[in-house]
Amino acid sequence: MNAAVQKALSTGAERHVVIRPTKGLFDLEIGNVWRYRELLHTLMMRDIQVLYKQATLGAAWAVIQPVFAVVVFTIVFGNFAKMPSDGIPYPIFAFAAVLPWTYFAEATRRSSTGLVDDADLVRKVYFPRLIIPLAKVSAPLLDFAIAFCVLLIMMAFYGIMPSVKLLAIIPLILVAGTLALAIGLWLGPINVRFRDVKHTVPFMLQIGMYASPIVYPLSQVPAEWKAVYSLNPMVGVIEGFRWAVFDRGSPDFVALGIGLLVVLALLLGGLVWFKNQERSFADVI
Amino acid sequence: MDKDIAISVRGLGKRYVRNAGRKHNSLRDMLGDSLTTLATLGLRRKQKEYFWALSDASFDIRKGENVGIIGLNGAGKSTLLKVLSRIVTPTTGEAHISGRLGALLEVGTGFHQELTGRENTFLYGAILGMSRTEVEAKFDAIVDFAEIREFIDTPVKRYSSGMYVRLAFAVAAHLDPDILLLDEVLAVGDSAFQRKCMNFARSLEKKGSTILFVSHNMYSIKTMCQRVIYLKKGKIVFDGPTAEGLKLYEDDSRMKDAHWFWSDDDERPIRFTGGTVESSAGADTGVVAHGDRMTIRLRYSTTRRIMAPDVRVSIDRQDDTHCMTFSSKQDGVDLPWLEGEGELVIQTPPLKLTSDFYLANVAVRENGVGKLLVAQIIAHFHVSDPDLGSLSYGVFNETGGWRHTPIAAANDAGATIPPRATAVAR
Repeated sequence: MNAAVQKALSTGAERHVVIRPTKGLFDLEIGNVWRYRELLHTLMMRDIQVLYKQATLGAAWAVIQPVFAVVVFTIVFGNFAKMPSDGIPYPIFAFAAVLPWTYFAEATRRSSTGLVDDADLVRKVYFPRLIIPLAKVSAPLLDFAIAFCVLLIMMAFYGIMPSVKLLAIIPLILVAGTLALAIGLWLGPINVRFRDVKHTVPFMLQIGMYASPIVYPLSQVPAEWKAVYSLNPMVGVIEGFRWAVFDRGSPDFVALGIGLLVVLALLLGGLVWFKNQERSFADVI
Repeated sequence: MDKDIAISVRGLGKRYVRNAGRKHNSLRDMLGDSLTTLATLGLRRKQKEYFWALSDASFDIRKGENVGIIGLNGAGKSTLLKVLSRIVTPTTGEAHISGRLGALLEVGTGFHQELTGRENTFLYGAILGMSRTEVEAKFDAIVDFAEIREFIDTPVKRYSSGMYVRLAFAVAAHLDPDILLLDEVLAVGDSAFQRKCMNFARSLEKKGSTILFVSHNMYSIKTMCQRVIYLKKGKIVFDGPTAEGLKLYEDDSRMKDAHWFWSDDDERPIRFTGGTVESSAGADTGVVAHGDRMTIRLRYSTTRRIMAPDVRVSIDRQDDTHCMTFSSKQDGVDLPWLEGEGELVIQTPPLKLTSDFYLANVAVRENGVGKLLVAQIIAHFHVSDPDLGSLSYGVFNETGGWRHTPIAAANDAGATIPPRATAVAR
């Protein structure tokens, strides 16, 4: 056995494990997730590999979905309804919002149903269950990256020069991913008991899409409703995206700040809830 | 904890709710139930029924020890392994495990149909707890062990079930754990591959690995384990030398359901309430001589009339080889129906089975090929013969009619012995 294997063996191994009925309420076992990071990576790669296997168009689907959505929005909202778009050409105005939304919706859908999709693993193999929602929100990042290239092409087409601000989309997409993870942490354990979640999520996402400034600009929202409206963390993310792409005005820090607080609260609560439910997954799934 | 102890278990127990789980699988069911509760003002609220799948289990397993876990269906064997592998959280007690633990509760869990053999090797390796570098280093050995080199880049959905299982076991076999938990997984694949798996398990034993092993295959328990833990209804009833434990188990398993038989309802239309396997001397001693006529007596009791039953008595060797079956239908027995209580007696022809341990089972189907109504263990027995061991004589021994016709004259044959052969002989 060579040195690399020896090392891998000693790091992967758990030398002494104690199995007990109860754990502390706030024992999140983050160290354990770190120890299983290779499995996280492998499951993420599996989801990416599997997604487009035996699909003739393969990864082109990552582009086709958002592009078609934008085409429809442009015709319906841009042309028929004459929706204002803050002076930006409607197609790219919509695309800059559809891009983070598509990622968020896909990540939310997968992280909410992931435990049940991988029920076999949950039933027969031990690993920190947090790995599953983490892998599920990471995998669609590849689709996001592919669709992002389309955005760059569209920007060139409309003569929009990318500025340094474009880099802001990295933290913004992380916020969207964290939100999807937090929702997954809440809904995943519920889905283990009640499969209704699978049917509820697409429908909630549909509503969420209209509750976010995707087909219309934030400026259309009445001022007195803005604080409530900003409770939806995707408002800050999407407006941030538009700011990063079009380099106009300043980002809505209030909306972003409210959104971040909501994400953080959801995430912390979700972690405690998930860890608390985790122990019974194999019994009821 | 003592340095020589690999697994230390104290008061371990797992409680389940009997009538929960499957029932409330959708919110609608739950809402429906809540409404019923409201309507009856909670007076008829169902009490939660608990049952202990495992209770108050305590034992220590030393490093390098191989321990078999035996017990009838639902005795808690798999629950014990699931708790020890951390899939299921115990309700009471605790367990200390020191060393790298590998659990194989099912071969191939986590394989993805769309991925190739190569991709699945890495995926399954990661699921079992191996790092990528580790799988890479062992990749060739894994592929050779599975004997599927030419198909390694084919999606596993195109694999035969044998190839699938071989690859999965090969990955698992290269996990190199200090402690290995095995649940019936050696009972897969064809017999050649099974032998390979057994050899592999023995090589682990030589390396000093600790193995905890659940099996219905008494032969593998006997060959691999010096010690058995016998579970009955979630409790450890015996923990000690293999021979003693197996004797207890064999006596207890009489008339119990065959381990492969599963029925949703506890109500069986027909049950066998007693059965014996007797030698021609009329004794139920568990030993029958090769060539002897055996008498199998079965007492049955029914709750309704069973039409045109096909009663089958099958004989399995201890390594799970199905050797023979007596079928009332095939034997042309006139049995229009079975009802009430009664006795069936089967007298076998002189037994041609070779010397080994066997298990007699009985099963009944309605209308010849209908649903399997019941499958029960009758008894374990030993066919004895000083010479005809199953290793050298196979399953049956029959006397052949031999004839010898020399083609060349005997003297010539002696003269043509090749020179090299004579040289070797010297």
